[in-house]
Amino acid sequence: MSTAPPVIDIQNLRTYFHTEEGTVRAVNDVSFRVERGHTLGIVGESGSGKSVTSLSIMQLLATSAEIESGSISFLGKDLVRLPEPEMRDIRGKDISMIFQEPMTSLNPVFTVGDQVAEAIVLHQKTSKDEARKKTVDLFREVGIPEPELRVDYYPHQMSGGQKQRVMIAMALSCNPQLLIADEPTTALDVTIQSQILDILRRLRDTRGMSILFITHDLGVIAEIADDVLVMYRGKMVEYGDVLQIFENPQHPYTKGLLACRPRLDTKYRLLPTVSDFMESEPIETPDGPDVKIIEKKLDDVRLQQLMTHGRGRLLHPRDELAAMGHPWEEGHHSPDSTMVPDDAKPLLEVKDLEVHFPVRKGVFSRVVDHVKAVDGVSFNVYRGQTLGLVGESGCGKTTTGRAILRLVNATGGHVLYEGRDVFALRGGEMRAMRRNMQIIFQDPYGSLNPRMTIESTLTEPMVIHNLAKSKAERRDKAAALLEEVDLKPEHLRRYPHEFSGGQRQRISIARALAVEPDFIICDESVSALDVSVQAQVLNLLKKLQEDRGLTYIFISHDLSVVKFMADMMAVMNAGKIVEFGPSDNIYAVPKEDYTRKLINATPRDSLEHIRALQEQRAKLRSGT
Amino acid sequence: MADDKKAPDPPKPAPKSPGFWRETWVRFRRRPGGMLALVYVVFMALVAIFAPAIAGTKPVMCKYKGHLYFPAMGYFNPKWENPIFQKDRFRKRYTPAKFKEKDPDSWVIWPLVYQDPFRRVGGEEWPGQPENPTGADGSPSRYNWFGTNQQGKDVFAMMVHGTRIALLVGFVSMGIAATVGITFGAIAGYFGGWTDIIISRLIEVVLCIPALVLILALLAIVEKATIWHIMAVIGLTRWTGIARLTRAEFLRLKQSDYVAAAKSLGASQLRIVFKHILRNGLAPVLVPITFGIASAVLLESGLSLLGFGTPPPNPSWGTILREGRDTIQQTWWLIVFPGLAIFFTVLAYNLIGEGLQEATDPRLRSDD
Repeated sequence: MSTAPPVIDIQNLRTYFHTEEGTVRAVNDVSFRVERGHTLGIVGESGSGKSVTSLSIMQLLATSAEIESGSISFLGKDLVRLPEPEMRDIRGKDISMIFQEPMTSLNPVFTVGDQVAEAIVLHQKTSKDEARKKTVDLFREVGIPEPELRVDYYPHQMSGGQKQRVMIAMALSCNPQLLIADEPTTALDVTIQSQILDILRRLRDTRGMSILFITHDLGVIAEIADDVLVMYRGKMVEYGDVLQIFENPQHPYTKGLLACRPRLDTKYRLLPTVSDFMESEPIETPDGPDVKIIEKKLDDVRLQQLMTHGRGRLLHPRDELAAMGHPWEEGHHSPDSTMVPDDAKPLLEVKDLEVHFPVRKGVFSRVVDHVKAVDGVSFNVYRGQTLGLVGESGCGKTTTGRAILRLVNATGGHVLYEGRDVFALRGGEMRAMRRNMQIIFQDPYGSLNPRMTIESTLTEPMVIHNLAKSKAERRDKAAALLEEVDLKPEHLRRYPHEFSGGQRQRISIARALAVEPDFIICDESVSALDVSVQAQVLNLLKKLQEDRGLTYIFISHDLSVVKFMADMMAVMNAGKIVEFGPSDNIYAVPKEDYTRKLINATPRDSLEHIRALQEQRAKLRSGT
Repeated sequence: MADDKKAPDPPKPAPKSPGFWRETWVRFRRRPGGMLALVYVVFMALVAIFAPAIAGTKPVMCKYKGHLYFPAMGYFNPKWENPIFQKDRFRKRYTPAKFKEKDPDSWVIWPLVYQDPFRRVGGEEWPGQPENPTGADGSPSRYNWFGTNQQGKDVFAMMVHGTRIALLVGFVSMGIAATVGITFGAIAGYFGGWTDIIISRLIEVVLCIPALVLILALLAIVEKATIWHIMAVIGLTRWTGIARLTRAEFLRLKQSDYVAAAKSLGASQLRIVFKHILRNGLAPVLVPITFGIASAVLLESGLSLLGFGTPPPNPSWGTILREGRDTIQQTWWLIVFPGLAIFFTVLAYNLIGEGLQEATDPRLRSDD
């Protein structure tokens, strides 16, 4: 590390929230420094205090929060004790911030150019024309095509990625010393994410700017950070060089966090979880309740179990594989994979599925065009398989899933379930069919009726399909379902808002299982969860598949999650399937450009990749 | 990132779950204004129910010729007054003297105040109580707490008996409005498409009809208009706001994942509408209903003031106001007491509505 004074130096920061329920120690004794031209990545799960740390620096905390002690020294000035007018001068000029949601960070009634120019006029006494010229330059710098034209666009005319670029341009407008980026790529597609990361890296190197990068995603950290700070429940548990953290993590939580992500090249069949590395035990301290972390070792027996548990890949029958261009040959497929018997009938056949939404215009709402959300999708799923459906937002993967279940109306094509045409079924027949096919949604907060107890949520499907004779029997079944998804029967009397996101997702899974289905669509079912929770839910889904012989369609934007879960994978783009095949093969030898683009954009955190990035930077620095 | 502001503590082992309504109640209870208003409305309801026992000239209960009778029930319905009193020539004047004269063994429980909302109480009906004064002489006194009107009827008794109508108007008319509004709103919101277009236009048409004009027209057509007709008209014109809100709630909630989940579980449409959507969409609708009750009370008083409201001889707060209108200089008590009653009642409903709004507003329940 250089000897120049750090841009920001934080010592023993404690930020507490004072709520009705008591004091919440959101940031509890955190110290770090960021050198000029360096990037510090702060990583942690929701509730770890990473965002509160950044808001503490900006002095933008909610009124219920207070910095109890510690110092935040920014170029020698202590921001904690700085009067508000001076702080206002620093905000936006010396320290800027970009947020997660580019959609809501821009004001919809002004053009994007005006909004950036306003920031320039505000902090640098320039004329409007000059500010506009600067804005165009900035737009060019952050990679917005045709910047002269785009400055006059309104936010709704731009895509999410472009809006985030505008936000970056705005943040850069006054040439800040420090850029705080709070989950800036979380809401974006992977391909856009990799572009934004590129821009941030380039800006850092050309402008010598320091970046504080906050994220929950260790893959992104590996791509951008020089140093990493790992936060857990308000405390810093590990702080060090990025390579050192990835190569040799010290704290059990960091170890767990690194291990529980399904990586593209994972060897595991079940994911290790944070609880394999540590246990926490509540203790009383003079400051209030806290937890003690007890380190555990992931022993070889468990490791072996994780790697060999369950079955290997279950691929399509021989002729279908051959037709896909992945014939069953020696060495072509991963060694532990098997094929569905040649004479097996598919459980689900999707044929030329089309979902077109009409675009209406004019007084008489004439249909002028169609949005082809799903445009001729065909595939087979065999009993016991998991089919992955992967693609970026708007590619039609979710609509495909919903159309199969007739939650949206298909405008063309067929879906055959065990040979029966699902779209031809009427009223009662369709309701009976629904017992076989279930769905688990993405949003754990929206998919449970907030006014129903867990018991009524779980017993309702049994009432609908008359699956139990008495109330007592239904309750027993519901309790058994909860135990199956690792929750407790006493949770039956509670309401959804009392559960965490991961627990709610388990309840959703239990509800889907209540009708004893054969086939479940998991629509981004783990995307809203923290990585450590995601690993648990993925393991649970695998276990349930094994115990109950379930067949899944697993829909996700996250290639690595799909690859971990799926036997066969379909890559979708613009309503069509671009590539279909065994998921290992698609990852190893992608045939289509789009698939390759998707794989390359996925953040990589292999040690070689981090080393390569570091060498590249070292070269760049010695050059200038 | 918003999550970071929440407690990083593990979820505490919560005691038994409070349901939505219980939690609403807890939140409502924290608002002193709303609670005071609720106490007031409950008190008014009790006054309305026990009006004959508070002010009246008919015994609440009596033992007469070996049998128990409840003549005060006659205030609710004349038929509930036992014919024996007519046969024995009480001529609708129950006085302690008459009871003693006709049956020396009888005993009687009288209302708290011996005054009648329908007639002037004469002298010596009640031992030591003079005949009610009339006109400008009828200012509040020991015997007539709120004074008397032109004909010498006791204002306090009239107001106590008028409470029933004031409350009924609000609840019945808004009950009708809520039923119609929620039904139409739910149908429009859930089915959408043409159904929605037709119902939305219907809402706009009804919105254009002024309730007042409709009531005046109705009074001209119906031969013997009663208070029930007026309640029906108020109810049938005031449902539009409720329908719109219900429609919006249904439009929003039918998109939610748990409705999709219910659909994919094979739930019937009725189940989805009633169990999943209505249950979640009802709370916000309560608020306009409460405000609607307030405005219905006001409307009825206004109508009575103009002489189109509660038909005589039934006492209502508005009719008392009307009597005081012409002689406002002399008989201030005919204006002040019913005016205050209307004011406090409307205020109470508004406070309750406001309290409900804040207690059920999801944005204010951020800590859930």
